Amino acid sequence: MGRTLASVPLLELRGIEVGYGRAAPVLRGLTVQVPAGAIVCLVGPNGAGKSTVLKVASGLLRPQSGQIILDGQDVTGQGPQQMLACGLAHVLQGHSVFREMTVAENVLLGGYTIKDKAVVTERAERVRKLFPVVDERWNALAGLLSGGQQKQVEFARSLMVNPKVVLLDEPSMGLDPKSTNTVFEQVVRMRDAGTAVLLVEQNARRALQTADIGCVLDLGRVHISGPASDLLDNPLLGELYLGGRPA
Amino acid sequence: MRSVSKARVWLGLPVLLAGVGLVLSFPSLAPNPYLLSVGIVVLNYAVLSTAWNFMGGFTGYISLGHGALAGLGAYGTALLITKAGMPSFAALFAATAIVALLAIPLGFAALRVRGASFVIVSIALVLILLLVFQSWASLTGGSSGLVVPRPFPQLLRPEHHRVFYYLFAGLLALALLCWWLIDRSRFGLGLKAVREDEDKAESLGTPTFAYKLVIFTVSAAFTALGGGLYALWFGDLDPVFQFSILSGAYMVLMALLGGVRNLFGPVLGALIVGIGLEYFKVEYGNTPLHLVASGLLLAVVVMFMPDGVIPSVSNVFGRFFQPTRASIREVSAEQLREEARR
Repeated sequence: MGRTLASVPLLELRGIEVGYGRAAPVLRGLTVQVPAGAIVCLVGPNGAGKSTVLKVASGLLRPQSGQIILDGQDVTGQGPQQMLACGLAHVLQGHSVFREMTVAENVLLGGYTIKDKAVVTERAERVRKLFPVVDERWNALAGLLSGGQQKQVEFARSLMVNPKVVLLDEPSMGLDPKSTNTVFEQVVRMRDAGTAVLLVEQNARRALQTADIGCVLDLGRVHISGPASDLLDNPLLGELYLGGRPA
Repeated sequence: MRSVSKARVWLGLPVLLAGVGLVLSFPSLAPNPYLLSVGIVVLNYAVLSTAWNFMGGFTGYISLGHGALAGLGAYGTALLITKAGMPSFAALFAATAIVALLAIPLGFAALRVRGASFVIVSIALVLILLLVFQSWASLTGGSSGLVVPRPFPQLLRPEHHRVFYYLFAGLLALALLCWWLIDRSRFGLGLKAVREDEDKAESLGTPTFAYKLVIFTVSAAFTALGGGLYALWFGDLDPVFQFSILSGAYMVLMALLGGVRNLFGPVLGALIVGIGLEYFKVEYGNTPLHLVASGLLLAVVVMFMPDGVIPSVSNVFGRFFQPTRASIREVSAEQLREEARR
C-alpha cells in the first residue's frame, strides 16, 4: 500500500470473549489492532462475529473477558457515551439517520456532547466541506435522501466529535455500485483526514481494496491478518472467504 | 437550532397577527356570555393540549394521564384556598409548584417504560387518583364535589367571563412561547432525537432520561396551571370529571388533529374539538353522541391526516411554493457523463 503505519495501535481489542445470553460465545479470545491513520477491515463469513467486534469496541456490548485499549488507556466496560467522549464513534449497520429531522439537525446531533457552540459550528463547517452531499442537502429532511446520501450523513455525524477511531458496520449494505464507490471514497477521505477506521464489510474484496490492513475472522477469532493487498493476492483466502478468484 | 425561511415568515406572520387580533377581540364580538364561556372552554382546551404537547410532541410519549395532572392542579388550587386560606392566585401558583414537584417521582417511575406500557401506566395514574379523590370525602368533598370561592366576587357573570378569557389567553401565549423556545433550542433537538429513536439518541450522547423527566415536569406544570385556572373560573369541581381518562384522551385528540409537531397544532385541534363538543351538547343534550363523533374524528385523522391538519395543509402549499424539495436530485445525461469523467 505504500503507507507507513504507526507501530503502537490506537485501538486494541485484546483476548475478547463475549456472547449473547446463554448461547455459545461469539468471540473467543479475539485480538485486533487498529493503528492510527489506517483502515483496518474485518472480513469473514456470516456469523463470524464481525458486527459483534464493533459492538464490543463501542461499548454496546460488555466483554466477558479481555481488554479494550484506546489511545493507551484501558476503556474496558465503558458505555457508548463514555466511548464517544473518549474519541470512538460507531456508525451502525443499515440506515441510522433520524429520518424526520433535517440533515443539519442530524449532523448537529453528532456533536451533542460538545458544549462550546463555536466548536460545533467549526466542526459542522468542516464536515460540510468533507461531504459535498451533506452541504448540498443541508436543510433537506434526511429521510428524503437516497441510501448512499444517508450513509454520508451518518459519516458526517460521526466525525462531529472529532473521533480518533470510527467503526463502520457494513457501510455499503443495500447500496447500488455507484453509491458504494462514493461511500468507499469517503472512507478513504476520512482516513486521509487523520481518522483511523475499523471497517466491517460483506463486500470483502471491495473493502480489502480500500483498507490498509485486513483481518479474516472466523468462529470468533482472527485467523489471518496482514496487509490488505497480500490477503487479496492470496488464492486460498480468495477461494474460502472472498467469493472465489477475482474476475 | 432551526432556521425559519423568509417565505414561511412572510406567509405566517399575517396569519399569526390575524389570529392574535381575533382572539383579543372575541370578547367584544361575542353576542352573549354563553358564547364567551365557549371561548374560555376552547382556550382551556388549547392550554391543556399545548401542555400535553410538550411531552407528546417533543418525545412521542403518548400520555393519557394528563387529565390527572389537570385534576391535581384544580383540586390543589381549590384545597389551598378553602383549607389553607391562601389567596386565589397564590394558591394557583403554589398548586402548580406542588404538581411539578410531584411530577418528578411520577415521571421517574413512568418514564422507565415506553410505548404501550407508558400509556397503561398513565391511565393507571388517572384511575388511582379518581379513587383517592372520590373516597377521601372529608378533604375533597368526594362525589358531592368541591366549591371553589370566586377570585373576583364583585364581578358580574359577563365580566367574570371576560377577565378569565384574557387570563386563559395569556396562559396560552406563555405556553406557546415556551414550546417555541424549546423547539429552537439544543434541548429541543435532543428531545426530538428521543422522539425519532431513543436508543440512537442515547448513543450520540443525549441524556435521554433526564431530558424526558424535565419535559414531563414542564408539561405537568402547564397542565396544572390550566386545571387550576379552570377551577377558579368554573368554581365547582367533581372528581368524576376532573380525573377522567376522557379529558386526557381529548388532549391527545386535539394535538393529533392539529399536528403534534407544530406549535399551533394543538390550538387548531382545540378549536375544532371544543366547538364540536359544544355543538353536540347544545343540539343533542346529554347523549353520548359527542363521544361517537370524537371517535370518528380520531379515525379520520389517523387514516387521512396522520401528521395532523397543519402539516397536511402545509404540504399542499409546499407543492406550490417549494418545488425544489424533491427527494432525488435531477441531473441530465450530460451532467452524469461529466461526473463519470471526473
